[in-house]
Amino acid sequence: MRVLIAFSTLVFGGAMFGLANTGASAAAKLKVVTLQYWNTYNVADKEGYTMEHVVIPRFEKLNPGIKVHSQYVLYADLLPKFIASSAAGNPPDVLRSDIAWVAQLAQEGLAVNVGKLKGFAAIKAESLPGPLATTQVNGKYWAFVCDTNTQALYYNKALFAAAGISGPPTTIDQLLTDAATLTVPSKQQYGLGVDGTDIWNMAPYIWSMGGSFTNANYTTASGYMDSPQTVTAVTSLVNLLKAGDIGSDFQGGASAVSGETGFPKGEYAMYIDGPWAVPTYQGANFSDYGIAPFPSGAGGSVSTVGGEDNLVAADGHHVADAEKFAEFLDSPFAQLAMAKQGDMSAIKTDAAQEVKATPYYSVFTQQLLTAKIRANSPGYSQLDSDWSNELGQILAGDVTVSAGLQAAAQEADQALAGS
Amino acid sequence: MTTEATSLVRRPADSPPGAVSRHHYRAMRFVTPYLLLLPAAFLYILFIVYPIFKQFDISFYNWHVFPGAANPFVGWGNYKEIFHSPEIRTAALNTFLFIVITVPIQMALGLFAAALVTDRLPGRGLWRALIFIPVVTSWVVVSYVFAYIFADQGGLANGILSIFVGHTVHVDWLANTWTGNAVIWILSIWKGIGWSFIMFLAALDGVPRDLVESSRVDGASERRVWRHVVIPNIRPTITFVTVLLFIGASQVFIQVYVTTGGGPFDSTGVLLTNAYQQAFSFFSFGYAAAIASLMAVVVLAMSIVYIRLMRRGSNS
Repeated sequence: MRVLIAFSTLVFGGAMFGLANTGASAAAKLKVVTLQYWNTYNVADKEGYTMEHVVIPRFEKLNPGIKVHSQYVLYADLLPKFIASSAAGNPPDVLRSDIAWVAQLAQEGLAVNVGKLKGFAAIKAESLPGPLATTQVNGKYWAFVCDTNTQALYYNKALFAAAGISGPPTTIDQLLTDAATLTVPSKQQYGLGVDGTDIWNMAPYIWSMGGSFTNANYTTASGYMDSPQTVTAVTSLVNLLKAGDIGSDFQGGASAVSGETGFPKGEYAMYIDGPWAVPTYQGANFSDYGIAPFPSGAGGSVSTVGGEDNLVAADGHHVADAEKFAEFLDSPFAQLAMAKQGDMSAIKTDAAQEVKATPYYSVFTQQLLTAKIRANSPGYSQLDSDWSNELGQILAGDVTVSAGLQAAAQEADQALAGS
Repeated sequence: MTTEATSLVRRPADSPPGAVSRHHYRAMRFVTPYLLLLPAAFLYILFIVYPIFKQFDISFYNWHVFPGAANPFVGWGNYKEIFHSPEIRTAALNTFLFIVITVPIQMALGLFAAALVTDRLPGRGLWRALIFIPVVTSWVVVSYVFAYIFADQGGLANGILSIFVGHTVHVDWLANTWTGNAVIWILSIWKGIGWSFIMFLAALDGVPRDLVESSRVDGASERRVWRHVVIPNIRPTITFVTVLLFIGASQVFIQVYVTTGGGPFDSTGVLLTNAYQQAFSFFSFGYAAAIASLMAVVVLAMSIVYIRLMRRGSNS
């Protein structure tokens, strides 16, 4: 019996000691906050690796007690997943959001108004105006700029030389003429590739030809999306398509080949794309091409601002720490580290430095100076869908350009009003 | 034979303390099944009944799923909008086409395969397994596999076509309305045959052998045997399979979402991809709930009508 009591005491005492120790270590662990950072940095390439193994460790070193877990999410799943987690009251602390989502998420009350933070003024002063504008809704700032990009004109030097054209077009008129000259139907060679009817792909043509999608406040599309300038711009592209000078990627459909696929094969002599195409072509050993600013028209040389913003979730569990991390992502260390992996910096001084390390960025940084943002409205996704679907009908010949654009404008008005 | 119940009933009135009274016993007998059902009923109400009613509720509001957000009541506004949306018309047409094409083909091929396998086919077990395997695979996985097969660049379908044509073919199957729809139909039929096959296999095993044999001995052709003996005997299974396939087909989503994403220009979209887009791209949760609610009502009504028609046919 005594042996049993002694044994029980030993076991019980040991268990209590163990529990006490576990409790102590748990208490120590509780002091460490782990932030959840959802993004689309691909872990299979250097971009994701750099974020996880270079940028985050540096932040953790500078901020003892804060750990960051970088969670890769497929682009298509990121917004639905963020919405679902927010609805459940358990969003990630920081979201690397597509710039097109910021207005929607801000309106839903899911983002922290970072404009009131002490550190934001300095970042705001240093941010490029285009990317900065994507974070602003109703006069307040709802995210930190993260990275930026835009599209410029890629042209195939060999095809230009064969057609007797000395250099890339600098005006829209030249672009349209060159597209016709460079088209060789027998070789399945098109002068121009346009990768779809969505606003991201269409906006450089529309804006540069003097057209527009909405008014400056993004409250109405009627009178803008169906303006004479926009009708002229769309008609120019429709005429090129009818003449067979634009490739199959514009309409999609059977046998459509994307610009990035068709360009190095000589299927498209020109198309617009972002800086990410360069590493792709390097990997494919294709180098006989040039990159030029988008040709100028009545509206100038205007491309589309792309990129991502870092948004601090309003319902996150560690908002103050999340703000620190989001601010850190705009530091020169983080911006330059990610710039080396293809994410152009949205901070002026870092953008100037990154061109030295990556010379082909120079055209894109130049293009960014005049690039515009798409409608910064919660109704943008709906508006883009309406525009794209109506353009599809116009290209299919189901409606005239003006009728299609009027319908698109009316639908877009509803989207903007609903937002 | 004396059961426990009768022994309890016959227990004398002066039975010892602690013995179960007749009244108590009856009460227990009445309550016990409900008590046993309670956990399952609780889960059913929590995860099925409540979401259904909540969905109908949400459909009458401009709903925001986020905590603390105001949700203005819009009455039938979301339902009215459905009937004015061209995207919904396209989505409804695609859903309808999906149902009328995939359901009959799945049933016909499933029944055909079941008829072949029942007739002393060598390796019957192997055939069963081979036909049934697609059913247990993941929708997401096979949808991605089909997306790769029908990819414009490096896809197996284009590879095979190129061999026959003699030069490289780039058909972007998934970016065209009809080829995209066709891929979705083929995928769904391929994956669904196994389920109707198993259902019909079980039903055919239940058809009285002697009845079939005697019909044949009496000189009935194989067609007449099927029409007058086999089909009437498996009619309940046909009804069951049709209704479940119809309900399943009306809820087509994953294969469309993964392969074509509803494109190009929403031309391959179905009702649920449209509802998903409304909810998770445009944040129109009330409108999305209205689409889902309307679908539920239509599918329920059509299922009831079909079952009644089949019963009437069976009785006559």
